[in-house]
Amino acid sequence: MDVLIGAGVLAATIRLATPVALAALGGVVTERSGVVNIALEGCMLVGAFFGVFAADRTGSLPAAIAAAVVAGILLAAVHALAAITFRADQIVSGMALNILALGLTSYLDYQLYSTTGTPSTIPLVPNVHLGFLENAPVLGGAIGDQSAIVWATLAIVVLLQLFLFRTVPGLRLRSVGEHPRAADTLGIDVRRTRYWAVLASGALAALGGVYLSLSVAGSFSDNMTNGRGFIGLAAMIFGRWTPVGALGAALVFGYGDALSVSLQGVKVAGVEFPVQLLSTIPYLLTVLAVAGFVGRSRMPAADGQPYESEGH
Amino acid sequence: MRQPSFEWTRGPAIPVVSVLFALVLGGLFVWISGHDPITAYAALLRGAFGSPYDISETLLIAVPLLLTGLSVAVAFRAGLFNIGAQGQLLVGAVAAGWVGAQWPDLPAIVLLPLTLLAGILGGAVYGGIAGWLKAARGVNEVITTIMQNYTIVFVMHWLLQNGPMQAPNAFGTPASAPIGAGAVLPVIVPDFLVPSSRLHAGVLLALLATVAFWFLLWRTSLGYELRAVGLGMRAAAQAGIDPRKRMVIVMAIAGGFAGLAGMIQVSGLFHRVYDGFSAGFGFDAIAVALLGKNAPLGVVLSALLFAAFSRGGTLMQSDAGISSHLVEIVEALVLFVIAAETVVRAVARRWGTPVKAVS
Amino acid sequence: MPSMKRFLAFALMTMTVVAGCGGAGTASPSPSAAASSAAAVPTVAPTATAKAVKVGLVTDVGGLNDKSFNALANQGRLDAEKDLKVQTSVTESKKQEDYVPNLTNYAQQGYDLVIAVGFLMTNATWKVAKQFPNVKFAIIDGAPADDSGKTQNLPNVANLFFKEQEAGYLVGVIAATMAKNKVGKATHNTVCSMGGIPIPPVDRYIAGYQDAVKTISPTTTILNGYSNDFVDQAKGKEVGLSHISKSCDILFQVAGASGLGYIAAAKEKGVYAIGVDADQAYVAPGTVLTSALKRVNKAVYDTVAAVTTNSFKAGDNFFSAANDGVGYGTLDAVVPADAKAAADQALAGIKSGKITPKDTVQVK
Repeated sequence: MDVLIGAGVLAATIRLATPVALAALGGVVTERSGVVNIALEGCMLVGAFFGVFAADRTGSLPAAIAAAVVAGILLAAVHALAAITFRADQIVSGMALNILALGLTSYLDYQLYSTTGTPSTIPLVPNVHLGFLENAPVLGGAIGDQSAIVWATLAIVVLLQLFLFRTVPGLRLRSVGEHPRAADTLGIDVRRTRYWAVLASGALAALGGVYLSLSVAGSFSDNMTNGRGFIGLAAMIFGRWTPVGALGAALVFGYGDALSVSLQGVKVAGVEFPVQLLSTIPYLLTVLAVAGFVGRSRMPAADGQPYESEGH
Repeated sequence: MRQPSFEWTRGPAIPVVSVLFALVLGGLFVWISGHDPITAYAALLRGAFGSPYDISETLLIAVPLLLTGLSVAVAFRAGLFNIGAQGQLLVGAVAAGWVGAQWPDLPAIVLLPLTLLAGILGGAVYGGIAGWLKAARGVNEVITTIMQNYTIVFVMHWLLQNGPMQAPNAFGTPASAPIGAGAVLPVIVPDFLVPSSRLHAGVLLALLATVAFWFLLWRTSLGYELRAVGLGMRAAAQAGIDPRKRMVIVMAIAGGFAGLAGMIQVSGLFHRVYDGFSAGFGFDAIAVALLGKNAPLGVVLSALLFAAFSRGGTLMQSDAGISSHLVEIVEALVLFVIAAETVVRAVARRWGTPVKAVS
Repeated sequence: MPSMKRFLAFALMTMTVVAGCGGAGTASPSPSAAASSAAAVPTVAPTATAKAVKVGLVTDVGGLNDKSFNALANQGRLDAEKDLKVQTSVTESKKQEDYVPNLTNYAQQGYDLVIAVGFLMTNATWKVAKQFPNVKFAIIDGAPADDSGKTQNLPNVANLFFKEQEAGYLVGVIAATMAKNKVGKATHNTVCSMGGIPIPPVDRYIAGYQDAVKTISPTTTILNGYSNDFVDQAKGKEVGLSHISKSCDILFQVAGASGLGYIAAAKEKGVYAIGVDADQAYVAPGTVLTSALKRVNKAVYDTVAAVTTNSFKAGDNFFSAANDGVGYGTLDAVVPADAKAAADQALAGIKSGKITPKDTVQVK
């Protein structure tokens, strides 16, 4: 059945999973260090906008991506300041920054591009054409023509998995999220580590945003991330706070999302499924997958808890 | 998961100073964008409380915020994060709208309680599913409730656009058939007091629910157990409480509060279910609950604050000419500064003001 | 905080229904007004005697930056403010609960004309207009409806309707002609459309489009789909890629910002697209053949003008091809002369009443 596992569906799965995966990776990094960052949605949104904005102003793709990532890092830095330095409520701070990001990007888009739209000539992230796969069945269609950011995401997953679980700095980061007191005793700077982790999460989420604006859409529109930062948080939990797991979870979600398109107009036993209900597939599929295969997961022990060093 | 850093009950100094500080910061933004902050805030106040009519509209927005806020708060109290108040509200609205329209000729004394029950039950079942999945299969409630929020939106698209609940006379608007007169919550402000007010008896229901919230958590053994679970699984287990069993109950109760909000929007305001209905209350609710420190009075006050921003923000645009996005930015700043109240606290300490006692 | 709603995906919920149909980019070429819009500076009345007419516009939850329906309405307001020397103001609705108080606010302040943008406000308009019989109201895409849902015209409400199916028909003629003659990249004799959600203002466009294709080129294959969304470009793009993989090479979007993703799919794969509501030629030159125009700005402008000249007409007012209320937009260079000629012929036929485009979708 092509509508279930055809090359087109698989390619769509990968495309739709990528932004969710990047948000989820950001979530993994920050929560492994013990900071909850639900401002990932906002980081994606500023990444999406400032990517387009910089592409328009500079005409340079690297500059655009750099600007997007910097924007995501800056927003995350505000969260880090609130969550780590001021020990603010992390969820409220994250929500505030999401609203801020939505208001700011919509405001700027309206001021700059309301009548003309974002320019159609901005440089976009190119797709990577794998010529040697051209004639391969399924595989060629599925991965033969994906955005460069898709491949970058895959690389980030591998590197991040290795970093977190195979390197000393990765171990330190995780220990800060599990036993900050013990880590502190061992001479690890808990706050500094958490700062870096939160900033990295902003960068990763912003990359997800710039994927949406400069690879998928080629333009910015209000709230174009449409909740993917939150789906990413769910994917992070689903993936048990590991990069590889997060990718897997994002792929499950992306597959459901792809099905909601590919099954449109398909008749089963002469009956066509209402198109509105098809759109529930990714959400139901995700819950079923977690309930059926993943089950209980354990969050980092000190997740969401501000740390106050002894001497403070 | 979080450390209560101030209690409303211990005095309003810190939150009030935080809001003032945030408003100054927001005013700076307004000023930078080329508008007059004084005019802006005057419009904000006028929009929220300027006339009896405005006050009644602010209260109308506060009702669903309060109820969904209680929904989130009761879950927090038991250590669960209910992101699903929005979805639960919608299910409650659909259930109430269906019952209210199904038997439109029943007298109010039968139909209104029935509709009320349907709304609460609808939300409770939807919330209970998340609790059950957590208890039985270990599915994190954050995942389930996020996914449930989306699911009900698309189910409502189907129900109301060309599915079984679509009204035959819905003039192209995706909506359900109107509920019977017996399911309508009456307007409680006479016209000679506040002309054309929409303020309905749902306000009283919401206050009743707040009392019920307080009574449940602090005056019943179930409430004690829930709070014990919230304070720590191990402690609860030592006290002989099975936290898993409580998860279903807690999420059902949380869903019930949100479902009541949905019922009130249907029975009090719209008298039918619209697609794309009551957007966002359940998300504002998270902030409402946290700002209110998950305490009854705190949730009431923060629901009022949010509602005032909602109505007042509109006038900032229509009368002071400030972009609604700028209004959003100001709101975000207020929320952020309140979250980061330790800043205010630190400043207060340095200046040696009486709020020191609070910390 | 009204906007916090959006904080989760939730604009999703908000926008869905509401944003109505639409696309990116406003038709109007006068951006200058946008920045100063909010100021609503009172201006000197054209006649020495009358005080300035005050006009309030209330958007639906799609908001001013939808680059479509609400944006066009706002453009009409700004044009009127400039040309007709009226004083105007705008309010964005953040949720459905806001419609009644937002309309009431203007009525209470003694505005002369209050314009409700969008069919979601039919009941709210009825409620408020009944209470303020001395204030004039206009509602776009709808008529006042009482609590039971029945249309009840009021003597102080103008209902502004559009014949979207005529605009859909015109762009359908262009698509069909190019598909039939295999012009440029349109080689597969297959044309497609994507709506946001299946509601009448969306489906009327698609119905007219399909009607034209069936009439002009019966052999052409027609596909239709929905993104179930008005903001998510990624979803719109997936529907587009799916359609293209089924040999579509002309894609007509009726899905707001989500539809921009549909156009992006056409651009990426080197096929053609057709815009909606506003003139979307700028979105992707060389890809966007033309746009199905719904001149909401004209409807707003004309209604304001009618109030200033005391010729306000309550009840149904239709904006159709006959009065330039709908039409087709800028044609790309790739559109051949015979396609333009066919469209112009169809336009003349619609104007004279010889052609009546269907308003129900045939190919779901």
